[in-house]
Amino acid sequence: METKLLSQHYHLDEFRFLEGYRKHGGYEQLPRALQMQPQQIIDEVKNAGLRGRGGAGFPTGMKWGFLPKNNEPRYLLCNADEGEPGTFKDRMMMERAPHQLIEGMIISGYAIGSKKSYIYIRGEYHDSLRIVGQAINEAYKAGFLGKNILGSGFDHDMDVYSGAGAYICGEETGMISSLEGLKGQPKLKPPFPAVQGYLRKPTIVNNVETLAAVKYIIRDGAQGYRKFGTEKSAGTKLFSLSGNVVKPGNFEVPLGFPLKDLIEGLGGGMKPGRRLKAVIPGGSSAPVLTADEANKATLDYECLSGMGSMLGSGAVIVIDDSQCMVDLLGVLMHFYHHESCGQCTPCREGTGWLNKIVHSILEGRGRLQDIDLLLKVADNMKGRTICALSDAAALPVISFVSKFRDEFEFYVREGRSKVRGTSYAEMHH
Amino acid sequence: MSVVQNTGETKNWYLPGVFGGLVITFRHLFRNLLNRKKMITLDYPEEKYEYSPRFKGNHVLTVKKDGSLRCTACMLCATNCPAECIKIVAAEHDDPVVEKYPINYEIDILRCVFCGYCEEACPVDAIRLGPEWQTPGLNGSNFVYDIPHLAYRPQLKGGIQSHVDDEERHKAGI
Amino acid sequence: MLKCTINGKEVEVKEGSTIMEAFYKLNEHIAHYCYHPGLSVAGVCRLCIVDIEGNPRPQIACNTVVTEGMKVTNKSERIKDGAKWVLDFHLINHPLDCPICDQAGECGLQDQYMEFGKYNPEMSEPKVKKHKVVDLGPSVVLDSERCILCSRCTRFTEEVTKTNELGLFNRGDRTEIGCVEGRELDNKYSLNTVDICPVGALTSKDFRFRQRVWYLKDSESICPGCSTGCNIKVYYNKEGMFRVKPVYNEQVNGHWMCDEGRDVYKFVNREHRLLRAKKHASGAWTELAPGRAAKEAAATLKAAGDSLALVLTAQYSVEEYEAIVSTFVNEFKTRKIYFWINNKESFDDFDGLLLRGDKNPNTKGLLRVLEKHGIEATWGELEKGLSSGSIKTLVVAGPENPAVFPDLRQKIETLSAAKNLIWLQAGRNEQLENLPGEVTLIPLKTFVEKSGTFINQAGLEQRFKRATTIVPEALTLTEAALLLSGKDLSIPVAKEVFVETNRRDDQVMLEHRKKNEFVFRRGAL
Repeated sequence: METKLLSQHYHLDEFRFLEGYRKHGGYEQLPRALQMQPQQIIDEVKNAGLRGRGGAGFPTGMKWGFLPKNNEPRYLLCNADEGEPGTFKDRMMMERAPHQLIEGMIISGYAIGSKKSYIYIRGEYHDSLRIVGQAINEAYKAGFLGKNILGSGFDHDMDVYSGAGAYICGEETGMISSLEGLKGQPKLKPPFPAVQGYLRKPTIVNNVETLAAVKYIIRDGAQGYRKFGTEKSAGTKLFSLSGNVVKPGNFEVPLGFPLKDLIEGLGGGMKPGRRLKAVIPGGSSAPVLTADEANKATLDYECLSGMGSMLGSGAVIVIDDSQCMVDLLGVLMHFYHHESCGQCTPCREGTGWLNKIVHSILEGRGRLQDIDLLLKVADNMKGRTICALSDAAALPVISFVSKFRDEFEFYVREGRSKVRGTSYAEMHH
Repeated sequence: MSVVQNTGETKNWYLPGVFGGLVITFRHLFRNLLNRKKMITLDYPEEKYEYSPRFKGNHVLTVKKDGSLRCTACMLCATNCPAECIKIVAAEHDDPVVEKYPINYEIDILRCVFCGYCEEACPVDAIRLGPEWQTPGLNGSNFVYDIPHLAYRPQLKGGIQSHVDDEERHKAGI
Repeated sequence: MLKCTINGKEVEVKEGSTIMEAFYKLNEHIAHYCYHPGLSVAGVCRLCIVDIEGNPRPQIACNTVVTEGMKVTNKSERIKDGAKWVLDFHLINHPLDCPICDQAGECGLQDQYMEFGKYNPEMSEPKVKKHKVVDLGPSVVLDSERCILCSRCTRFTEEVTKTNELGLFNRGDRTEIGCVEGRELDNKYSLNTVDICPVGALTSKDFRFRQRVWYLKDSESICPGCSTGCNIKVYYNKEGMFRVKPVYNEQVNGHWMCDEGRDVYKFVNREHRLLRAKKHASGAWTELAPGRAAKEAAATLKAAGDSLALVLTAQYSVEEYEAIVSTFVNEFKTRKIYFWINNKESFDDFDGLLLRGDKNPNTKGLLRVLEKHGIEATWGELEKGLSSGSIKTLVVAGPENPAVFPDLRQKIETLSAAKNLIWLQAGRNEQLENLPGEVTLIPLKTFVEKSGTFINQAGLEQRFKRATTIVPEALTLTEAALLLSGKDLSIPVAKEVFVETNRRDDQVMLEHRKKNEFVFRRGAL
């Protein structure tokens, strides 16, 4: 069963507009929050154990606490550049409940003392951009945004910004660069964005889901929010289930929910005659889990990192036994090669190299030592760059090759897929 | 090794040695007279000896398929040359793939010691030491070989092509 | 001051210093490309990884600030192996162009591969193809394939010249450096990008393919191009001088120099030089050895008495001025010593970085020497004296670099009014060689052929030493002064080298800097 906290009203069309949103309890938490002290809100978020929903899972309250204690202008940025392959929850949140996000952002902005916030929306999300833009206009008209919000003396302005289609702009400093009008490349850390971010001012970057959840923490209190989830992974989370399942889609479940139940129960299980082979639990950057591991896994930060994978953005990609892992790795490597920003050498050259090796295996030119070379290259890309894209490209390689080595070796020896039985060239004709 | 010296009376007997030597001389004389094919000497200059293909004789600059020089004017041969007899002037080529080429390449053959280091230093197989070894001339200035002589002298019949295929090389990105 | 330990050696660094600076201070070798002490930190080459005790992940030395008691090493197996791989990542798409690449011999990739490289390349896939021989502007050529995208050049145009011509285009391994649309790299400092390029991606059009760097020797000197007095390194061999590069001096030029200064080697070379003295007397030119010409001129000077005058340009060293001025004041008892100011209007111009309007290296030095001898003659007096005939014999120390003397032609006309003209100059000049009167042309040595001192616009005395000899017979102004006063030459003894005297405590050690600026010494080759 789903636990609908954030997504309770997503099925209602009227929830998209201010009127309908207010009918279902919208903007009721904002005045309450504005009466609290900002520090109180930060403490509440800290106590609620809310962790970033974008992928890294960093505790949100702690991140807000890193802001310097001075009166410098600071910015709140909402990361809606949902680029991680397999993830589509933010899109639904923005298109079905834009006001939920806006309310959460105003509260968060108040908590961190920011007078200006931006929502950086992925370039391909034209509808989201339009809908969120309209919602912001509605909120301005209703007095939830602008000068002196609800007579509290707190000013807050909000704007949307469209990305231009780069995966790397989903990385927080890459997004900041893009927002500043520069080439979308991650910035060197330190200084961290909380100290020097957008326009070199303190900046907080949070995911859509994180910011939306803030509203519910205000509503239910930290303890109320902690009712869901586990001790260390509190609250609910939207999971984007995709791949070879009968019923893919977004599902909101409390953290700690068994992965098997998500696939079998909510996702309707595998297609007839097919068996589960592997699951990528947290977007394409997360290491893959084998069927055995997936059956044991629960969807929380600790369990998955204990298995060597990660919860990531909550994109569960289900792979059944009709899929060839070499093919899949080829697709992933093409993606990361295409999306590397080209700044750091190990990532720029490494993604290209990995892509070339995987494709030479696919095209029948592979050598057995190439499989070990894949591991070596990936190992040396890991943790050597400014941002995590290099890791994101390396981790799938390591997990794919080490867990499904037999398929790779078969491909190299026979020049065709162990699963499909055909070669790459035959598949593409 | 120690040499056994004849210390006895017989050391003054020289006639056996003289005759022994003459026996060998006459044996060869008669053999050559009887069987001229086995004769070891040549009627130079009408006849010439074929040296082994690895003989280090006069230099040859190899050419590409289109007949242009293979040399990239990297000057490694000149750097490596112990006799400092190679002089190269480089220039920019119109074709960005070729980029650099020699407009002047001179070898002062009188200074050359035919060590073959230039051949070994060359990264593109552009210079070789060929089988020619006769370098007669009437005038000192004839011994400074330039590009027309090194690459296109009549004996080379239009130039020696090196076996490396440039297009293949560039496709492979080497 | 903070204490930290680098590879087991303790070092004290200033607060806020990076680990890289601590490595520099200790002369410890660490591989790096994108870090340049004169530019901001980019942290993109990822080569300077180090192990910090207590930190599970390797960190980059260029962006990690030293904390008290930090223990850092780049000698651990993990770091050595990591650096090898990062170097390999740099090289997998780098073409094997070394034979035709101008950087070969002073290339960062070559040098660091020898020290830190992974000697068994495993890349067997085709390399990425990019543009070759891209014309970036009037003086720089780009080869994108060789570029390792360290972004030094883009940061240079962004931070130092603030002209922003260069940018990084495209992404991933398809990234290329290029000029922003509609612009070309034509700022006055563009050739610095060639210097800071650690590989042969950016090459100077002027130097391109002219020499292999291992045929060149280098020597430190002072740029005579303007009154800033940038510290330079001149590169020469027996064929002459080939190029000029800046040398770090925080007080004067930092890491940079201007493009104009790169041309100062040109007037030094033989083809522009006066090789023998020339004398025009009774309608015919005769060539003779410079020393003899000066000795012969000595008689004329002695006979001239009160009608003798001296014209000086601000292109010679303080020692030479002292020699010739004291000769004229003490031996010939004349105070008619005039200062030829070449570009009066732009004298105080300054572009904010290095370039100054005063195109002489030693204006301050000349003024100081003249002041010391109490000489206050003006150019107007000289012109009056020439027209009235009170000045009949004139000795001129002409411009060493005629390019910065726009009034040269007109001044020669003015000065040739003297009955006896003794013109001392390094370069050849057609106009001088066609003068009708009694003229003696005596070749002088240029700044690379002598030791001396320049005083720059800020009053900083900078000593330079002789690098090479291009015209052996030419005289220095000191020697000419001796000969003109009828004495014989005594061989001057050079004092200590200026670099030693001007070194500050916090200055990066010379040897270390050379290693890191990829300057290759030919050694025993």
